[in-house]
Amino acid sequence: METREIISTGNDLAAIAAVDAGCRFFGGYPITPSSEVMHTISDLLPAVGGASIQMEDEIAGIAAAVGAGMSGVRTMTATSGPGVSLKAENLGLAQMAEVPLVLVNVMRGGPSTGLPTRVSQGDVRQARNPSHGDYRSITLCAGNLSECYTEVVRAFNLADRFMQPVIVLTDETIGHMHGKAVVPTLEEVQNGIVPRKTFDGPAEEYFPYECGPTEPATLNPMFQGYRYHFTGLHHDRNGFPTEEIETCRKLIQRLEDKVMDHRDEIELNEEFMLDDFNGEDGEVLIVAYGSVSLAAKEAIRHLRKDGIKAGLFRPITLWPSPAERIKHFTDMTKNVLCVELNIRQYTEEVERVSGRLDIEGLYKVNGRAISPYEIVEKVKEVF
Amino acid sequence: MARTLMRFTGVGGQGVLLAGEIFAAAKIKLGGHGLKTATYTSQVRGGPTVVDITLDDEEIFYPYANDGEIDFMLSVAQKSYDLFKDGVTKGGTIVIDPYLITPTEQDRKDWNIIEIPIITIAKEEVGLVLTQSVIALSIANTLMNAIEPEHLKEVMLSKVPKKVHEANLKAFELGTKYANEATAK
Repeated sequence: METREIISTGNDLAAIAAVDAGCRFFGGYPITPSSEVMHTISDLLPAVGGASIQMEDEIAGIAAAVGAGMSGVRTMTATSGPGVSLKAENLGLAQMAEVPLVLVNVMRGGPSTGLPTRVSQGDVRQARNPSHGDYRSITLCAGNLSECYTEVVRAFNLADRFMQPVIVLTDETIGHMHGKAVVPTLEEVQNGIVPRKTFDGPAEEYFPYECGPTEPATLNPMFQGYRYHFTGLHHDRNGFPTEEIETCRKLIQRLEDKVMDHRDEIELNEEFMLDDFNGEDGEVLIVAYGSVSLAAKEAIRHLRKDGIKAGLFRPITLWPSPAERIKHFTDMTKNVLCVELNIRQYTEEVERVSGRLDIEGLYKVNGRAISPYEIVEKVKEVF
Repeated sequence: MARTLMRFTGVGGQGVLLAGEIFAAAKIKLGGHGLKTATYTSQVRGGPTVVDITLDDEEIFYPYANDGEIDFMLSVAQKSYDLFKDGVTKGGTIVIDPYLITPTEQDRKDWNIIEIPIITIAKEEVGLVLTQSVIALSIANTLMNAIEPEHLKEVMLSKVPKKVHEANLKAFELGTKYANEATAK
């Protein structure tokens, strides 16, 4: 793959990536530590014929973005945890009506207003089910500067493929850190864009929500000669509300299956220093994601120098979780340590998919990062 | 080169962020690795801010400076100085603005404390208080010998608006001069 270097911050990279991936609308409301995503995309979008609107609050910000998604353009909003709480209702609408959009959440301390300028990973569980009801969240998590770019690009393609919101989690550390990102060239990104499917037959034969049991709706952009209805209610093949028993069942089952039956298209992990894992005693598997994985990698360097065979499993797609891969590594490793800037939010998923209750954890919820030394100490203390 | 860890501290609004970005970019453009992180509080102005700068030939993962490993700190506010000085390695260098910070006698034994009136230089000698960031950059680079000065100057100019190039060049030269004088003492 052809690559290029960009020296920037995670927030700026997310904005640049969106525009490179074809995003032409941003609706949002600034909130620390995500505001720079909006500042930067507001500069970039007009230059490519797009638009960015600061709405009156977070709710209106995502509402505008959902509307833009209905009209067919690639659309984004960015916020932090408190903003996601406000946007939850419209995220649910976009899940139900199958409107693609990308939401970047630069995580800060919570709950409520929490610690605005400090780092956290407290929104991992929220990302899984931000709104009520049955649907499957697709949540990606950038673990370095390059991924603030590449995961936003991937999010746009997944949103159009599965016709639903895709959440990209970053955090205050990665959003604000400034350094080198190695990312695909603009040409590579543009060649990789797979736009949403459209129907081009006669209008009277178009039924947007009539599709295979594991496939997303085919929503033609509004205002192009095809009429259908958007609603948050259970709906029929034309999008009109219905209470017909089988239609209701099939709709919600399809929202589940369109994601879960295609997890292989969504899953992405990094396996760092796990090549030599083969089931011997004394191995330490660290599970971490996002900015914490940076400290974990430094910690693993130190542990390896001390003769401790340690490696990192880092899910980049957090939801749906890489269940089989986690089980593969937890099955072969005696000691498993989850490191998170929250309390057990992903550990519980690792416990669930591994079937193990002896997983150790290192957690921090005071707005400060976990340092490599804290991880090294924890490993030496518990294993 | 081994890893260089520098920490710039001040209070919100003083503009210490820019120096970190210039350092990181200069190192990256030489083929190395550089990262800048900033931590600050929710106060718009007046809260303690910390900028950590990590430069290395090897890839850097963790972006913050570990307390106890910091080779160099520059501080322009007493409360930030008090909060963050203990992160500096014993025997390491701390540059302070003597009009804004009063170190204790013990501090002078623990660290190599260098007094340079950065803000006054920016106000009175350059005539533009915003250039304190570039003065700080140049002082840090002279004392740490981190980046070839001409290259750093070039990257600095690419990061500041053209209309203040002259002022920032002057700030850069003054930083070098004061740092050299301080070490000659």
